[in-house]
Amino acid sequence: MIVWLLFLIPLIGGLILLIGPIHRSWFAGASSTTCLATLAAAMIANGSRSASIIEWGGPLRLTATLTPMSALVAMLVPIVAAAVIAYASAHEDSCGLRRLIGLLVLFVAGMELLLIADDFLTVLIGWEAVGACSWALIGHQWRDAEAGESAIYAFIATRLGDLGLFVSAMAVFAGSGSFAFAGLSQLSSGYLALAAAGVTVSAAAKSGQVPFAPWLFRAMAGPTSVSALLHAATMVAAGAYLLLRLQPMLAPVAWFGPVVIGIGLATALTGGLVALVQPHAKKLLAASTSAHYGLMFVATGAGFPLVALFHLVAHALFKSLLFLVAGIAGERAGDYQLRHMGFGALMPMIAGASAIGALALAGVPPLGAGWTKEQIVSAAGSHSALLAILVMLAGMLSAAYAARFHLLSFGIVKDENITSYFPAPVEKAMPALLAIGSIALGALWLGGVHTGLSHQLGGALPDGQLWEIGASLALVVVGLVLGDAAARRRDLGTAGRAAMVADWLGLPRLVDASLVRPILLLSTLAARADDRIVDTGVTCTAWFGQTVSTLVTLADARIVDAGVAWTAWISRQLSCLGSGIGEAMTDGLPTYAARLVATGGQQSVRLQTGMTHHYYVIIVGGIVGVVALLLLGL
Amino acid sequence: MLTLAILIPLIGAVILAFAPPANRQATRLAALATALLPLIVLIVVWMGFDTSPDAPAFQAVEDFAWIPTLGVGWRVGVDGISLVIATMSALVFAASIAWPIELDDRSRQYYAWLLFLESVSLAVFLVLDLLLFYVFFDLSLVGMFFLISRWGHGEAQSAALKFFLYTFVGSLAILLAIIALVLAGDGPLTFDMRVLITRHPYGAGGWAAGLTLFGFLFGFAIKTPLFPLHTWLPPAHVNAPAPASAILAGVLLKMGTYGLIRIPMSMMPETFARYAPILGAFAVASILWGAFVALGQADMKRRIAYTSINHMGYAVLGIAAAGSLFFGSEGARQLALTGAVVEMVAHGLITGSLFLMTGIFWRRAKTYQLDAYGGIAGVAPKLTALFILAAFASLGLPGLAGFVAEFQVFAGTFAVYPWFAGLGLIGILITAALFLTMVQRVFFGELPADRRLFSDLTPSEYAIVGVLLTLVVVIGVYPRWLLAPIHAAAAAITAGPLG
Repeated sequence: MIVWLLFLIPLIGGLILLIGPIHRSWFAGASSTTCLATLAAAMIANGSRSASIIEWGGPLRLTATLTPMSALVAMLVPIVAAAVIAYASAHEDSCGLRRLIGLLVLFVAGMELLLIADDFLTVLIGWEAVGACSWALIGHQWRDAEAGESAIYAFIATRLGDLGLFVSAMAVFAGSGSFAFAGLSQLSSGYLALAAAGVTVSAAAKSGQVPFAPWLFRAMAGPTSVSALLHAATMVAAGAYLLLRLQPMLAPVAWFGPVVIGIGLATALTGGLVALVQPHAKKLLAASTSAHYGLMFVATGAGFPLVALFHLVAHALFKSLLFLVAGIAGERAGDYQLRHMGFGALMPMIAGASAIGALALAGVPPLGAGWTKEQIVSAAGSHSALLAILVMLAGMLSAAYAARFHLLSFGIVKDENITSYFPAPVEKAMPALLAIGSIALGALWLGGVHTGLSHQLGGALPDGQLWEIGASLALVVVGLVLGDAAARRRDLGTAGRAAMVADWLGLPRLVDASLVRPILLLSTLAARADDRIVDTGVTCTAWFGQTVSTLVTLADARIVDAGVAWTAWISRQLSCLGSGIGEAMTDGLPTYAARLVATGGQQSVRLQTGMTHHYYVIIVGGIVGVVALLLLGL
Repeated sequence: MLTLAILIPLIGAVILAFAPPANRQATRLAALATALLPLIVLIVVWMGFDTSPDAPAFQAVEDFAWIPTLGVGWRVGVDGISLVIATMSALVFAASIAWPIELDDRSRQYYAWLLFLESVSLAVFLVLDLLLFYVFFDLSLVGMFFLISRWGHGEAQSAALKFFLYTFVGSLAILLAIIALVLAGDGPLTFDMRVLITRHPYGAGGWAAGLTLFGFLFGFAIKTPLFPLHTWLPPAHVNAPAPASAILAGVLLKMGTYGLIRIPMSMMPETFARYAPILGAFAVASILWGAFVALGQADMKRRIAYTSINHMGYAVLGIAAAGSLFFGSEGARQLALTGAVVEMVAHGLITGSLFLMTGIFWRRAKTYQLDAYGGIAGVAPKLTALFILAAFASLGLPGLAGFVAEFQVFAGTFAVYPWFAGLGLIGILITAALFLTMVQRVFFGELPADRRLFSDLTPSEYAIVGVLLTLVVVIGVYPRWLLAPIHAAAAAITAGPLG
């Protein structure tokens, strides 16, 4: 049962924070304690591999277990979260801070749930829970209508992907009678292909891959610490994680590897271009997130989930760091436009951390992220040389935008002082800690370390070629030079064609025009049709009845007289009935109905002699009677 | 025991109707106390309910001969399905009666009608006699008609009339079908549901069976309501007082789906199975049409009303899949039926609380237009929190009751009708959009100047909605206690005539 603690500790911690005292040091202390307790639980639970089951009834059961790979992510998440949330409790605006911190911790709980999940039901619960948390966090500043709309956009875009996970769950149940991941191995090829398609779509949506990528841009409406956690350890990481978790079981589907590689590569290259020209610091990082998860998709698709996992860890450390420093620069500049930044001289320590993060993003040795990126190149190379070269190009773009980001935000000194903000000690300490983590990860370059880890985690590493690493590092250098050149054009991406590229190559507008607006238009039309057309049958019948009666009335006054007399008679009867209403309610109505039935019963006895066609006539008569009532009554 | 659950509110209604005038608060408390008793009775029955595989299908049965020559009797009893729906209904009634509402000097009549409606509504779910079922089914229309027309607002008269006539046509079709069903087949004349369920009067079916089934489907589809027979629902909801809306959505709509399960699906399974794909197609149409039309509404009550059509579509889809004897495994059909019943319970609790909360908007600001609000989160944080919780539950977020229902409906249906399940999934997406945009327009953004005095939930409002939504969370997190009785009943029904 201990494995459930991974989910329960942050859940309870988050709920306590939501209603607890409002004080910055309490926020930092309580959230760090929660995260560290979660980490401890993950380490303890890592000892046992047995699954723990909570029965819901029937085929519905929640199963939790830790595989070696999921245990690693389950430990990574609270470490990154502890740093980000501690930073948030010092950095973010005090208005609504308690809600923000509480939700960030709940966000961790949702993520841990999908990490320990061993079946599609449990994973779907965690999956959608992080989606809902991201909605609340992106729309944190709810007085700003635009933030709210961005939150809706992010939730709907990822929920569109969630439908894929629903489809996978349905296919697994239809094929195996259970929702367990293990059921995948029992599926016929048709159901397995459907399950693979569903997982791929969900993962692509969650990890901000093409064509779902624009939601990550909209997610930038949230506070910086939300972006840091969302991109590094929760939500976006969920997509890549699920894919690498299920890759061994989905690999038999012939198209699975190539399609995943295709999605990842397309995102890595386009995301790289977008980031290279993006003028907004956080959006630059968002595009780079898509691109790097794209690289993880390539590694998974090529059959090396362990490589994707290593890159996920490296990315979590440097991307959370970069968001934290971007938050500091943005606070200082008053907005997140890179051309308004340049605070290297003002904040040398932050600038140093930023440089380490940027070098890791660029994939420069001896940082760990450099090793993981070279492993992705090798993984791609084991597929084909062309793929390896394309991944190297994506790496070059990564180096270019990393250099541009750092040089603009903290490198090139700009003398303008727009605000007088200086970061608090905690705000400075957290990026420094994460930078140390990124440096420590450099140990991965050592042969003993990475082979030892891969044995422990139970996955294969690709055999690298020497030319690959040479070419790749050369392209990184080219990229850094390119980034330096791009950084000198401070206004890059603010106008013209570059601005179009920076806005995800126009993808958001395409989605808007082809999906969002048609759906809204359709719903408006449907609403009108429902009032005017569907209801017409009923209102027309009513109108028809009224018109007929009016015509008849006009034609023959005697009928009016008769009608009046008839109405009077009905009223008399009604009043008689009304005087004995108690009697009628409890006994009369059933009795009359019973008598009616009795008559019917006698008829039926007569009809039992084989003349059943009479009986059908009676039924038809009844139906005609109903139709007549319908026509006259309404 | 179960008879008490029907009699207590009825006696309460009669006493209130003829009692001397009392103060409004005392009347409300007396009515609430009366309404809580059937709930307690049902909880006691639930505690004693046996869900083991060889337990009898119907338990807590009481059977008194009444008109023996016709085989009519006062028969009450529950299986797992009627038990959970009746208990949910009793809870929704208690919440609606407790709900504070501005009344003129007719408060005695108002509470008397509510208790009368509770009595007949619970009876619909508890009786095991087809004739009594029909009688109570019709009486529920009478109760709701008076509640809407006398205590509604806006165009209450015409909405109530439309509601009454439309659904009355449906119940006439049901009456004809009941008579046909009882007269068909061999054996002594009886209206006993248990006998008819084992007898399967039509056997393999034929023309007469088809026509009878049509009568049932037509009648229950109006009540549920199913596209395109749903147009009575939005005006009835918009113009009804909030508690009546909550009961209409929470309890009365369930009579349609409950009827489908109890009568055509159980008593004429082979005929039902033959036409189940058509019913499934209408269910998918309801899911999609309800969701799309809801998204296009600018009035919050109309928007929620249309989501009822969408959600009841899920329930009917599950029922159609469960009744398809010719496709899918028994396990899948059982899952679909369990999902449909959980959907009924979840929808009752969730939509019931959503409609109660719309009453707050009417009471404070006399309008349901979404654009008349904005930024309410700033002045009414409790209302915002509970409304968002209910909205997320309604859009099927995991951890809340709606998800448990929809997940089972879709997983079960997919194994029977993959395309219906796939198309229906789009409904989940549109529902998410329509609830989030509603929350956004009402609670977030700028607060209009004339809404500064909008007050938050009072303690009693908070407590009532809180109880309903707590259950929604409990079902979403640990539904085992709810699924056990439903499972037992669903297993018996989906085993079909061969089982």
